[in-house]
Amino acid sequence: MTDFTVLAIENRDALIEALRAGRGKGAVLRGVDLSGCDLEGVDLSEARLSGADLKDINFAHANLRGAFLDWANLRSACLAGACMEFAVLGAADLSEADCTGADLRRANLVGVKAQRTIFRDVRMYYARPGNGDFREAVFSGADIQRAIFRRANLAGADLQGATGTANFDRANLEGALR
Amino acid sequence: MIFAHFLTDSNESNAFLLACETSGEALLVDAGAFEPAIKAFLDSHQLTLSAVFITHGHYDHTDGLDAIIARYHPRIYAGRTPCAGHEATVAQHGDRIVVGALNGTVLATPGHTPEGISLYIEGMVFTGDALFAGSVGGTSSEANARQQREAIQAHIFSLPPETEIHTGHGPSSVVSVERQFNPFFVE
Repeated sequence: MTDFTVLAIENRDALIEALRAGRGKGAVLRGVDLSGCDLEGVDLSEARLSGADLKDINFAHANLRGAFLDWANLRSACLAGACMEFAVLGAADLSEADCTGADLRRANLVGVKAQRTIFRDVRMYYARPGNGDFREAVFSGADIQRAIFRRANLAGADLQGATGTANFDRANLEGALR
Repeated sequence: MIFAHFLTDSNESNAFLLACETSGEALLVDAGAFEPAIKAFLDSHQLTLSAVFITHGHYDHTDGLDAIIARYHPRIYAGRTPCAGHEATVAQHGDRIVVGALNGTVLATPGHTPEGISLYIEGMVFTGDALFAGSVGGTSSEANARQQREAIQAHIFSLPPETEIHTGHGPSSVVSVERQFNPFFVE
């Protein structure tokens, strides 16, 4: 359930404390600056984080199911083991982020920037990475069944060991390892 | 406003529930199946399901209607009547849908089906199978595909860029992302 609670906490440290205390589910935090924070394991499911600055954040094993992270800056973020099923990551910047083992089933990755991003062993069943920039990204061991990479740029990406049948219609696979 | 998403067993279709916290009235968008989770949610929040909005008449969006109508007797809004054998109020482009304090507008989005409609309400738009994250619904002819693209551009992409798009299958999205990156609209 989303109740759209606006966490009107201006102090960054108090906000981080509130999120660690479990008040993040369904929170409205559009455009917030949480860059560099350690939020391992927090519950931000269904939260609204559109356009947030989350550069270098530690979201390892966080619950981001159904969260809106469109246009967010997640450069170099740690998302290892995070649950992002149904998450909206469209147009987000995930460059050089580590998503190892994350759950990206049914995630929206449309237009995402994910150069050199690690998607090792992720589950991407029915994900929507169309028109994304995945140059030199690593998908080894990933489950990409029914993922739709239409028009995605996968130049130099490592897809060795990825399993499942995905849609690569009009995708750029130049130099990709398959 | 209360908002919830349900993934149904009916061809993995989505159903969405919106409710007015003041009146306790709830609106269900699409009814591919009457999942136990929907009933449990209504019960736990003490909500009354007063309306169902059907985006189009395919089975994976209507198969739950029999059970829902038998239990709650809601108003049914659809692009045509009957809808899956049930009497419905025909909702046309520009019509208003009011549920408690929630006030929505019907948008015509034909193409996937001739009677396809979307609902714009509370900063969200529910598009059924007309528009998906990074994709569009299947059509039976190039003319229908063109009609669908034109409807989406005229009625969905013209909404405020931060509008959330909730679709009939797969993940949600936002207008700004689909307008700029949906591969079916970007050359």
